[in-house]
Amino acid sequence: MDDPFETLGIARRYDVDLRAVEKQHRELSRALHPDRFVNAPASEKKAALEKAVAANEAWRVVRDPIRRAEAILALAGVAVDEAKAPKPDAEFLMEMLELREALADAKGARDLAKVRAMGKDMEARTSGAEKALAESFARGDAATLAGLVPRVGELRFYRRVLDEVSAIEDELAA
Amino acid sequence: MALFEIFDPKAAPRPIGIDLGTTNSLVAYVSNERPVAIADCDLEVLVPSVVSYQPDGEVVVGRRAQRLAPEHPRDTIVSVKRFMGRGADDPETRRLGPYKFLDAAAGEPNTVRFRVDGGKVVTPVEVSAEILRSLKQQAEDELRRVGGAVITVPAYFDDAQRQATKDAARLAGLEVLRLLNEPTAAALAYGLEKKQNGTFAVYDLGGGTFDVTVLVLDDGVFQVRSTGGDSALGGDDMDRAIAHELLAKLGFDDRRQTPQLVRLVLDEARKAKHALTTEESVEALVPEHESVTVTRARFEELIRPLLERTGVAVRRALKDAGLKPADIDGVILVGGSTRVPAVRRYVTEVFGKEPLADIDPDQVVALGAAVQADLLAGEGRSDEVLLLDVIPLSLGIEVGGGVVDKVLPRNSTIPCSAKATYTTQEDRQTGFEVHVVQGERELAADDRSLARFTLKGIPPMPAGMARLEVTFQVDADGLLAVHAREVTTGIEQKVDVRPSYGLDDATVEQMLLDALEHGEEDFAKRRVAENRVEARRILVATRKALVADVDLLQAGEKAAIEKACDALDAATKGEDADAMHRCIEALDDATKAFAGRRMNRAIALAIEGRKLDAVEQTVKHAKGIEGAHAR
Repeated sequence: MDDPFETLGIARRYDVDLRAVEKQHRELSRALHPDRFVNAPASEKKAALEKAVAANEAWRVVRDPIRRAEAILALAGVAVDEAKAPKPDAEFLMEMLELREALADAKGARDLAKVRAMGKDMEARTSGAEKALAESFARGDAATLAGLVPRVGELRFYRRVLDEVSAIEDELAA
Repeated sequence: MALFEIFDPKAAPRPIGIDLGTTNSLVAYVSNERPVAIADCDLEVLVPSVVSYQPDGEVVVGRRAQRLAPEHPRDTIVSVKRFMGRGADDPETRRLGPYKFLDAAAGEPNTVRFRVDGGKVVTPVEVSAEILRSLKQQAEDELRRVGGAVITVPAYFDDAQRQATKDAARLAGLEVLRLLNEPTAAALAYGLEKKQNGTFAVYDLGGGTFDVTVLVLDDGVFQVRSTGGDSALGGDDMDRAIAHELLAKLGFDDRRQTPQLVRLVLDEARKAKHALTTEESVEALVPEHESVTVTRARFEELIRPLLERTGVAVRRALKDAGLKPADIDGVILVGGSTRVPAVRRYVTEVFGKEPLADIDPDQVVALGAAVQADLLAGEGRSDEVLLLDVIPLSLGIEVGGGVVDKVLPRNSTIPCSAKATYTTQEDRQTGFEVHVVQGERELAADDRSLARFTLKGIPPMPAGMARLEVTFQVDADGLLAVHAREVTTGIEQKVDVRPSYGLDDATVEQMLLDALEHGEEDFAKRRVAENRVEARRILVATRKALVADVDLLQAGEKAAIEKACDALDAATKGEDADAMHRCIEALDDATKAFAGRRMNRAIALAIEGRKLDAVEQTVKHAKGIEGAHAR
């Protein structure tokens, strides 16, 4: 795979300074965006478009805590394909199932306050998990990295809960 | 206007910006480095987005059409934008309104169809094209020749709605330089005025659509962080809320509502809403009926649920941007509906600060579009100003169990592309159905269906062996193109997308040919002219590049490029469009490697320049924002 960190010209690490990366992406866009090549020959338009798309994709990966983790693992040779990777343990899966059920109940009862509270709770867990991930990534030896795959899987579950919270908030407000 | 001014082939074509609004539309251009709206012969800049189809076949647009609405409620289409890119069965068609809709016949594209006077049937794309044609005429009266156009769309418009807008522009004979998101256009108009860096939110409540956009302005780059909204929420819904109240108070049930009555009551409701901006109470007068008192307090009560819906979108957009209301340096108000005092109070409440509204909220979008048109035409400050926009809704594919696999998440910066790989579910499966959807919900059935297509001719293999690679590409207009390929055999399908809603390409082409009087002849002439302009532009740019980056040229390369340039130069002197096209392609081939090297140099410069002030920046933003942009 392409190295998104390299594309953006930044060091490969998990705890990135997103504001600095955003700025870096902005400078690359300033040089590469199709609008800057309106009057350019087609060969240049194409080349610039390809690079602009690559810069945008790299930014999309790096700013997303899950995809950033996946990229670092993949670049280190650790398989992260969601379908095949080791899953979080049964206890965790059970808890997530119960959470989703509680969420569905709150939705049924149109209890927006409850839904919001569950969302807040899940956000706190997400940021805690991301901090822990950052520390493990900083240690960085092969065994540690392989052990992080289920942790990244947990983040995916958290995100799905958060997406559901958003969807319910929209629905209850409409 | 004197006759000799009407057509002047020597006048330079001027780029224009068009705000194709739900209630009003307008056109603007840049004059002496400042955007100005173009007025019609009555000195009015706002053209009501109303199109009336007369029994004799005449099509009337704007203020005159608006006056015809009470008498011809079915044949006069108001707020057509609300129907753009929607299917014949869309809930929007069932809201309070005077129209006669047609169901989609089998095999026809699924789009809204209005039946108007004389049995004529028109689609929203055609109605919008009439508005655009009228705006183009208005611009030509002022500028003599009109070049390309930037046309604005609500940021929250989905792919089908954007495509419909672009189709309407093509039908109106406009060259579309860009579809530009309305809030971004407004920010551009404001940003250039204020010359201030910071983080801004644009709250855009128009006649039929609501957008909220959070963006960072940094030395001329307008970078959208997130956007949210509702493409069926606006001033029309306020009118409907009052109209329902009036109908109930006057004792009308559904059976007794004629199209004339509905049109009258909706118009009366709109007048009441306008009056309530300054008055505490108004008398709504429906002719031949007693008057009904509407107080401002009651009006605010009626629209409160609408405002709450905008609040949900605002909070979502802030969260997606990783920001709190206090992080916003300024809130910009756009759209006529932001004149309602309750809306302003609500915005102040949600953001915790007074919004800015010093540019006319009805004009600001068109002014921004004019600026962008000027930039894209290569004029103005094209090396200083840049808009970086995003897709408003996630794009994905339906996979097993009706679940959506998100391929491009919402708020991805455009242009962008992404690949996803799928496999067959059954042994010897030779076809693969792909369903493209847009939205945030987990199940495809809850999201907006964009298109379906089938990849055929996969050689029979055991289940799970075939690998289908689907590529999504979103261009700078925010328009999606999908490609699919079976990886093991390399079977490529330039996907023949069946749009779920709206018109397919063949239908638009046919409309286009029908619209031209001397169809094919005109087409050929236009191609020669267009290719010549394109060729000259490329020649200038290529020769400039040869001088600027002469050190990047390899032995023999310069001679080859110059030879291709000379051939193209010679072709432009003839009348053969195909020859010009071939020479353009040959030059393109000759410069390909050189262009790649030039691009790498540009990237290196961008990264280098950045490193110099990186230290300072990092210190300035030292507070942790980890996980701030979770998407």
